[in-house]
Amino acid sequence: MGVVASTVAAAAPGARFIELRRVSKTFESGDGSRTEALQALDLEVREREFVSILGPSGCGKSTLLRIIAGLMSFDGEDVVVDGESVSRPRQDVGVVFQTANLLPWRNVAANLALGVEIRGESLDSARLAAMVEMLGLTGFESRYPHELSGGMKQRVALGQALVRDPKLLLLDEPFGALDALTRDKLNIELLRIWQAEQKTVVLVTHSITEAVLLSDRVLVLSGRPGKVIEDVGIDLPRPREPRTTRQSPEFSRLVGYLGELMGVV
Amino acid sequence: MKHQVVRHALQSGAFFLALGLLWEGSVRVFEIRSYLLPPLSAIVRELVSSRALLFRHLFITLEEVLLGFVLAVLGGALMAVAVFFIPIAKRTIYPLLIGLQSIPKVGLAPLIVVWFGYGVTSKVVMSFLFAFFPIVISALGGLAGTPSHLVEHFRALGAPPWITFWKLRVPSALPSFVDGCKVAMPLAVIGAVVGEFVGSNEGLGNLILLSTSSSRGSLTFAALAAVTALSLGLFAIVAGLGKWVWWRAQ
Ligand SMILES: Nc1ncnc2c1ncn2[C@@H]1O[C@H](COP(=O)(O)OP(=O)(O)OP(=O)(O)O)[C@@H](O)[C@H]1O
Ligand SMILES: [Mg+2]
Repeated sequence: MGVVASTVAAAAPGARFIELRRVSKTFESGDGSRTEALQALDLEVREREFVSILGPSGCGKSTLLRIIAGLMSFDGEDVVVDGESVSRPRQDVGVVFQTANLLPWRNVAANLALGVEIRGESLDSARLAAMVEMLGLTGFESRYPHELSGGMKQRVALGQALVRDPKLLLLDEPFGALDALTRDKLNIELLRIWQAEQKTVVLVTHSITEAVLLSDRVLVLSGRPGKVIEDVGIDLPRPREPRTTRQSPEFSRLVGYLGELMGVV
Repeated sequence: MKHQVVRHALQSGAFFLALGLLWEGSVRVFEIRSYLLPPLSAIVRELVSSRALLFRHLFITLEEVLLGFVLAVLGGALMAVAVFFIPIAKRTIYPLLIGLQSIPKVGLAPLIVVWFGYGVTSKVVMSFLFAFFPIVISALGGLAGTPSHLVEHFRALGAPPWITFWKLRVPSALPSFVDGCKVAMPLAVIGAVVGEFVGSNEGLGNLILLSTSSSRGSLTFAALAAVTALSLGLFAIVAGLGKWVWWRAQ
């Protein structure tokens, strides 16, 4: 699978979109000690697929996401996104981290606009209004980050990635710092947004139910150094309605199975 | 709430009134000679009767301070940016700056006057020297203190360096920079006055010096009051402008 095949192949749904081949990452700290975060990791994500990554704390999930985002160097064979080897961040990728990276001196509208401003574009008011509406932030356009709740901030951060209309969304525990109720609500919104926009998504999470509810596939990483130890397909029907999906026996079976793998049940 | 504000204002007012009365009273009771410490009332009278003289000197000092301060703000910001972005500047100019800063500037004043003359220029230079360093340090601290997660975020957005500079580093350095300017403002006044002490024909520092040597205590104090008012006023302006950088609170 070379770089050449990409442009044509990528147009067809389900074509290979992300590919990591034997990717390793070792951190060297100032005192010379080494931390092997990832070891010969292989990973594949298809176009418009929603893939979640579960794994114990410190196993290298954030590292993995940073490498896919082109934010971090790596050792190993190759990282390919949309047919191109990754060496630096791409304009058609949106990244959301656990802490909302909002600029305190910009209000909600200006923070959303930053996503495209950096490409030298401006966010027209119709698109802004639609995004604000989709995020459930109507009426808060001119509020500043310190006037928002944690969940609202995360929604703005997600919106900032979405206004770029990225082909790929990389989400690193975007709702991890929130309480369970808010988190559930935002997951439902994320599900709705994804079903409307159909992006390729890689979501790092600690929540098994979140992973099962949202994903087409869940990858379970081992403890450090991280490797994919299990690739679990989630064959729940789409579009998913959160309540009925959660009540289905298949949902409970998958949650139970993943829980066992993760050693929490 | 409002009631409390009034009460607090009354407390402060009463305190300073008492202090003024104590001054006035003790100078009279102990018959202190007026070139040592004039009564408060004499200073107030002097402020009124010599206002033309005071204003003339005040404007000279104001001019020196403003020029010195504005140059320090511009030069300090540029220097901070240079030291931050040019690695070789960090290894050469920055240590030089630290070294120069350690020379007592008051001790430099006679040299500065010899180099730049008795006129306004030497005072501008003194004012600049006093104000420059805190501005550089605060701007540098602000630039370096840009949260690394935001820097990474800009990288993830694919922002070119100049956009990261203007849209991230500059705004996040501003609160610290404003703090530096607030510290530097009264220092700029001190610099100019020290320059005037060492060699000048005019300015409030000159007036303080001359009136002391001719034993005109009330004029000395009136000139001191004028310097203080100048310093306070300029500080208030800088602090007021600094409020525009409201996100400092976070
Ligand atoms: N910049 C870095 N420098 C040195 N070591 C690092 C760096 N980033 C991560 N590590 C190390 O790499 C390992 C993996 O870190 P990573 O942040 O990817 O874990 P994670 O799976 O995201 O954990 P968590 O679930 O707690 O967020 C950890 O042991 C961490 O100490
Ligand atoms: Mg992490």
